[in-house]
Amino acid sequence: MAYHYIVTAHKPTAVTSCVTGNFTSPSDLNLIVAKNTRLEIYLVTPEGLRPIKEVGLYGKVAVMKLFRPQQEKKDLLFLVTMRYNAMILECVSDGDNIDIITKAHGNVADRIGKPSETGILAVIDPKARVIGLRLYDGLFKIIPLDKENYELKATNFRMDELQVHDVEFLHGCANPTLILIHQDVNGRHVKTHEISLREKEFVKIPWRQDNVETEASIIIPVPSPLGGAIIIGQESILYHDGIVSVVVAPPVIKQSTIICYAKVDPGGLRYLLGDMAGHLFMLFIETEARGDGNDVVKDLKVELLGEIATPECITYLDNGVLFIGSRIGDSQLVKLNTKADESGSYVTVMESFTNLAPILDMCVVDLERQGQGQLVTCSGAFKEGSLRIIRNGIGIQEHASIDLPGIKGMWALRAAFGNKLDNTLVLSFVGQTRVLSLNGEEVEETDIGGFASDQQTFYCGNVAHDQIIQVTSVSARLVSIQTKTLVAEWKPPNDKSISVVACNTSQLVLSTGSAVYYLEIQPNELIMKGNTTLDVEVACLDISPLGEGNTTSELVAVGLWTEISARLLRLPDLTEATKELLGGEIIPRSVLMASFEGHNYLLCALGDGSMFYFTLNKESGTLSDKKKVTLGTQPTVLKTFRSLSTTNVFACSDRPTVIYSSNHKLVFSNVNMKEVNHMCSLNAEAYPDSLALATDTSVTIGTIDEIQKLHIRTVPLQESARRIAYQEQSQTFGVVTSRIDIQDSTGLNPARQSASTTAQSVTVSSSVGSLAVGKSGSGSVLGGSAAPDYGQEVEIHNLLIIDQNTFEVLHAHQLMQQEYAMSLVSCTLGNDPNAYFIVGTANVNPEESEPKQGRILVFHWNDNKLTQVSEKEIKGACYSLCEFNGKLLASINSTVRLFEWTNEKELRLECSHFNNIISLFLKTKGDFILIGDLMRSMTLLQYKTMEGSFEEIARDYNPNWMTAIEILDDDVFLGAENSFNIFVCQKDSAAATDEERSQMHEVGQFHVGDMINVFRHGSLVMQNVGESSTPTRGCVLFGTVGGAIGLVTQIPQDFYEFLIDLQNKLATVIKSVGKIEHSYWRAFHTDIKTENCEGFVDGDLIESFLDLSPDKMKEVADGLGTVTVEYLVKMIEDLTRIH
Amino acid sequence: MSVAQFLEGLPSYNENNFTKFHVDNNNRSPLKRPSVYVPTKDFPSEQIIVTEKTSILLKYIQQHWDKKVNTCVKKRDSNTQSDEPVRKRARTDYNREGL
Repeated sequence: MAYHYIVTAHKPTAVTSCVTGNFTSPSDLNLIVAKNTRLEIYLVTPEGLRPIKEVGLYGKVAVMKLFRPQQEKKDLLFLVTMRYNAMILECVSDGDNIDIITKAHGNVADRIGKPSETGILAVIDPKARVIGLRLYDGLFKIIPLDKENYELKATNFRMDELQVHDVEFLHGCANPTLILIHQDVNGRHVKTHEISLREKEFVKIPWRQDNVETEASIIIPVPSPLGGAIIIGQESILYHDGIVSVVVAPPVIKQSTIICYAKVDPGGLRYLLGDMAGHLFMLFIETEARGDGNDVVKDLKVELLGEIATPECITYLDNGVLFIGSRIGDSQLVKLNTKADESGSYVTVMESFTNLAPILDMCVVDLERQGQGQLVTCSGAFKEGSLRIIRNGIGIQEHASIDLPGIKGMWALRAAFGNKLDNTLVLSFVGQTRVLSLNGEEVEETDIGGFASDQQTFYCGNVAHDQIIQVTSVSARLVSIQTKTLVAEWKPPNDKSISVVACNTSQLVLSTGSAVYYLEIQPNELIMKGNTTLDVEVACLDISPLGEGNTTSELVAVGLWTEISARLLRLPDLTEATKELLGGEIIPRSVLMASFEGHNYLLCALGDGSMFYFTLNKESGTLSDKKKVTLGTQPTVLKTFRSLSTTNVFACSDRPTVIYSSNHKLVFSNVNMKEVNHMCSLNAEAYPDSLALATDTSVTIGTIDEIQKLHIRTVPLQESARRIAYQEQSQTFGVVTSRIDIQDSTGLNPARQSASTTAQSVTVSSSVGSLAVGKSGSGSVLGGSAAPDYGQEVEIHNLLIIDQNTFEVLHAHQLMQQEYAMSLVSCTLGNDPNAYFIVGTANVNPEESEPKQGRILVFHWNDNKLTQVSEKEIKGACYSLCEFNGKLLASINSTVRLFEWTNEKELRLECSHFNNIISLFLKTKGDFILIGDLMRSMTLLQYKTMEGSFEEIARDYNPNWMTAIEILDDDVFLGAENSFNIFVCQKDSAAATDEERSQMHEVGQFHVGDMINVFRHGSLVMQNVGESSTPTRGCVLFGTVGGAIGLVTQIPQDFYEFLIDLQNKLATVIKSVGKIEHSYWRAFHTDIKTENCEGFVDGDLIESFLDLSPDKMKEVADGLGTVTVEYLVKMIEDLTRIH
Repeated sequence: MSVAQFLEGLPSYNENNFTKFHVDNNNRSPLKRPSVYVPTKDFPSEQIIVTEKTSILLKYIQQHWDKKVNTCVKKRDSNTQSDEPVRKRARTDYNREGL
């Protein structure tokens, strides 16, 4: 059996719904944003949006509405999940603490019924009398909101209209009255239904309007006193209230399709509309007095306000500020201005919220060879298309930066007498020292009396008795802070030059070559207390006091040249306490004694970026438990700093790393900066608890994150990125994209500038090659079909070559018209040493049910030129490509085919496999090939080298519609399917009969709640660094449509059983919002079956243990019997560190 | 009517909201995420939503049956009071009488 741990590393970010209202209290204006299974509650404040709480649900939100029952002062939240769990939530706050109370809950699914293709629609009567749900065709479910009854009886009403596109409740009606847009053979119509709660039927049709626009899709109910509704179509907007009917067809809305709206005024005269192209419009209802005191609608006006992120939902917050929720791009906070800016836009973006959704493809790369993966995802779509570079690490918030090249050392000083804060930064350069004084946020160069500024400083710092020490190659200088004069100076005998120095507040140790001198710092004097000469030269020194509150050290740590060793010397006489040979030929560059969580360590960093660390026994002066880690590739400098009253070590190198301790183990977290040469802690007035970090060219002052987390960088492409492949040889990424071109009088022209139109160079596939470069062809169309109609949108596919460092688009290669790029791989083939980008395509003809033609194109990127090396015509769409034993494996429609790479650089078919519906995905390991089928789950093939043929080894006979597959090990295979589940199949090679061997068994299944588009082997954290108590094996990352990143790792059976016990206990201790059972949520669920989750541990639930209060932690630990809270915390923290 | 006029007098619930919004908030790269709500207190639900299990077809037949029975009972009641003999009777009624 195989056991797995699955956990979310990055929560979903696609916004599917947003609402505004008074949720947390009657006076709080809240924004509530739904992101897949999570709700984020914000408070609108003068400073902007303030996050209040994130609420996890055991279900994917399908509809979210706020409503206010009559006589209530605040709003309630009504939710329906994709699995038809309905709930009414109330927020109760008690100071800063809030609770979400499930006022009502229940499942509203029917046992029979055809789920509507237009999804789940839920509407609430404006007077909060009933909730209406359209879940299945031909049925309308009504939940009366009676306060008295314990049971809210949801009743199905028969609805004649089968295809309902939108439904709402009308305002100002005596009985709850629905208005809906429905479609029949004649077109789309608007109809109203009055509901009788007593008779459980629609009793009458107050009014109807047949044959509205054929693409009418949105109803906006207009509040009283006007009443009626606005019907939004593709080209026209209609107002109707049963008597008055006003239609307008503003040309501005024709370009795209309106998909969402937000009401601006409570009275309902102004609305915001958002379309698929990211246009924001204002719709204004103009009224006139009718004479009887009532107003009637006279006209509708629509104005374009500007461009926003492609919206999914819009909500008006306050004072002209809107929240734009986006599913395929970054959500935004935008402000409406009464004056247009230079570009004629009335919209200003105030804030953007990073969104990875939808993740279509991704690759794991270690660009800086840090032993830690970075993810590069193809995210977003259309104008929101982008690459996102995701990296785990500790972030530095930059607050100030000064351009200063050539820094050799840096120290912060308290140079003002009696001041407890740092106000000076000493910077050392070759042959000189410069002093910067920090005055508030101002930084200016200054001098300190008694300082030698014509020398390079080796060490500088505040020491005992209000003095400052400065050590140069010539001498150690003691300066009084009060008088700013030199009070003592110590020079080595014979004026030898000082090479290395270490100092604490009262002790100083210096070395001139192999001689070591120990000095103590007294008022106005430096007294030499000991000296010795070692047999080899000293490379580095440290005299940090060990232990809390200690200001003196009894030991000196020394790193030595030639013999490559670390020694501890006792003070004051500098006798050797211990010697540890490090081995190898790389000299130690930095030693540091540090104590973490009461444990003492000696850290010794070498010139090649590796570091040894030992447990240090202070009393006996001995070292034990030698361990080695690789932190970087360059000489590393170790410095301590304090953060949150704990000791941390900053390792300055080409891969800056923070070393800290957790659960008595050293943890290594890389810092999200390219390179740091020197650093020092800085606690200045304007920069409290900060760090100063020196790079080759500048000094940065910033604060450091407390914990490591994922950092995301965005590379906008402004067109949809579909596939990505990394090519190490050329240091580039290949990215397959598609953009939209529009046919106009001059031919096809891009709808907007994007990555493929602004690339440094552009080529086009041969058949459109005769046309102007940079513009798509208009005349020649594959297969001889006619040019697209005027105004028609056409998808144009490109292969982009993108630089791995700058992410510039170096080249764009445009495919033929109607040719879609489906797959991409970077690989070498056969004996050919070149690395190729290989693109699999399909010729998409709308008349064909399935592509009948396609190509496999082999490109070589070399010397900034893209050459097409080979082209192979194929009979179908190439859905997937894989390198396989030096050959090219392709899935083409229902087949899997293996191509050899000949000496003539051509692809020659070697063998094929036919036993699928559509072979969508391929993964390989050794001689094995895993195929993911459209609807027939997974199949395992073996390639017989001798025969040159495929043999089908095993198959999963369950009807799973696959979205991604991965090979975990020789026998275990991971699949994701389109009802948001994942499952694990195992082949049983040891089974007795052929029949048993040919079947893969599903040994694990789990409901993820999000569609997984891609699996990749790799890890987001440093591998094999430090120790871990959790026995996880392997790591597969996945990316989802909702923008989440997760991982699956294998765990042993005993650990699985332990975690399952813990999970079950947590499922009872942590109450579910909406009262959906955890076991129900994680059960494998499709249209045809629901089976209990097995073989998977829900890491998200396990890790929420760390958020529990101590007494609840204890309750969980007690429930498990023999474990302690400390043990659980330690173990779960270790688990969190795998992502 | 100009766009500027459209955009005048946008609703304000608290005129201070967003007044102290700073653009440099943008530069704080890590997205400020709210803390996660981990409920451990059990609040009993005031109400539960129950779905009617009867299919609408059965419900329809039931309703019609009830209506029919009601009207027939009424008819019979009125019939017994009238002197005129009834020429035609619903079979259901007949059967019932027979029982």
